[in-house]
Amino acid sequence: MSVQGLDYGKLSLQDALDLAVLIEEEAKERYLEFADQMQVHHNPEAESFFRFMAGNEEKHRAELAGRRQRLFADAPSKVSSAMLFDVEAPEYDEARAFMTPRQAMESALGCERKAHEFFAGLLDQIKDPSVKELFQELRDEEVHHQALVKRELLRLPPDSGLNPDDFADEPVAQ
Amino acid sequence: MNCQPKDFKSDLKPIWCPGCGDFGVVQAIYRALAAVGRLPHDIAFVSGIGCSSRIPGYTTAYGFNSVHGRALPIAQGLKIANPDLLVLVAGGDGDGFSIGGGHVAHAIRRNIDLTYIVMDNQIYGLTKGQLSPTSKQGLQTVTSSLGSLEQPVNPLLYVLSYGAPFVAQGTPADMAGLAAVIEEAIRFPGFSFVNVQSPCVTFGEDDWQLKQHKAVMKSLQSLGHDPADVIAAMRLAQGYGHELHTGVFYRAPQPPPTYDALVRARQQEQAGKALPRERVLELFAAKKKETAA
Ligand SMILES: Cc1ncc(C[n+]2csc(CCOP(=O)(O)OP(=O)(O)O)c2C)c(N)n1
Ligand code: SF4
Ligand SMILES: [Mg+2]
Repeated sequence: MSVQGLDYGKLSLQDALDLAVLIEEEAKERYLEFADQMQVHHNPEAESFFRFMAGNEEKHRAELAGRRQRLFADAPSKVSSAMLFDVEAPEYDEARAFMTPRQAMESALGCERKAHEFFAGLLDQIKDPSVKELFQELRDEEVHHQALVKRELLRLPPDSGLNPDDFADEPVAQ
Repeated sequence: MNCQPKDFKSDLKPIWCPGCGDFGVVQAIYRALAAVGRLPHDIAFVSGIGCSSRIPGYTTAYGFNSVHGRALPIAQGLKIANPDLLVLVAGGDGDGFSIGGGHVAHAIRRNIDLTYIVMDNQIYGLTKGQLSPTSKQGLQTVTSSLGSLEQPVNPLLYVLSYGAPFVAQGTPADMAGLAAVIEEAIRFPGFSFVNVQSPCVTFGEDDWQLKQHKAVMKSLQSLGHDPADVIAAMRLAQGYGHELHTGVFYRAPQPPPTYDALVRARQQEQAGKALPRERVLELFAAKKKETAA
């Protein structure tokens, strides 16, 4: 997980909002990719959980993007999606063809935790009070997201005990 | 127009096993292409056959999923015919270093301006887990039930020894580093090679997946390596198989002329010696008369 080419000490509120929007967008895109992977490998339970997560990330993204628009309209952004590497998005090796919904949720929970750590870890470097306030809000938001995923986890029946690494659904040879 | 990484992502859904290292590689390629700033229609992406060779289809660039081991010759022809295209070549360790191994040397010595990315998972993924040329000695697979007897090919030393002017290695365990070396390779004027340690979650070794990469990888920069020093690069490249070095091993401080540049120079040189059109026609007419007589 990393962000390249940003000096956090110099972040303005506009930059911070742009960064937050892109973090949510990256996570949404990755959950959609995971959902597509599950669809390709006929795993509808994990697919629907990843689509649910993509929907959550999109809601949060839209809310932040709206705020950015109200405050700064179309002012050009200094932050780009190419600077972000798996800040809140699950890493690619988290997915498995036959992962259970529980494993999918545990992976998402791990992502909410890493996003929390990301914002919490930045606070010391932030000078602008409005940016600090935003990052505190985002950090706390991640705790709320964790609670959401934990609630979903509690509703699940226990896993079968089978290891998804013992099953494969690899591409067909050419 | 400025492209974003997602502008290079096609609508085709990858059929790779979820968890495959190649997902990270294609994402790093999107990032690198966005940074380089060329448009998808200015890019041609050629591959051979293998799981990794499906990669061009997952981008919006022109793609050619060609023949096993033949990506490099096709890409060279393409670049010579259309020098303005940015040409990327990709494939697996099997594609590049067994069936296609003979082409690597010639692509290097011709020094055609293209970027060759090998997704090295030390196995034949697509055909379900046979030994590959980079599999480590002793590896048990469906074709080596008692363990491989052969020494693995070292892709880094292989290309360095043939004189490749740009050689780097990355892993999707360090996405930022991987995107950066691919970008640098694309920008390099001449043949550039990036070996990507891209684990196969299905047939690869359990103890050589991204989690292990994260634990052991060392950036060459942090070791104080000077990428202009080819001897140091070769020494470090010997660590292949037991160490995981990331970054640029070698970047020729003075990039040698590309094949294209040499052809242009030769054409100019010859153009000065060419006879005027009238004289050529005269000679032709005389020869014709002589043969007819
Ligand atoms: C001429 C020819 N020989 C053999 C094959 C069968 N074949 C397809 S892919 C492959 C090897 C794939 O291994 P690698 O290049 O390492 O790619 P990976 O699937 O691991 O990404 C082989 C032997 C073929 N398609 N064509
Ligand atoms: S078989 Fe291996 S290389 Fe092929 S898609 Fe699956 S994990 Fe990737
Ligand atoms: Mg392979």
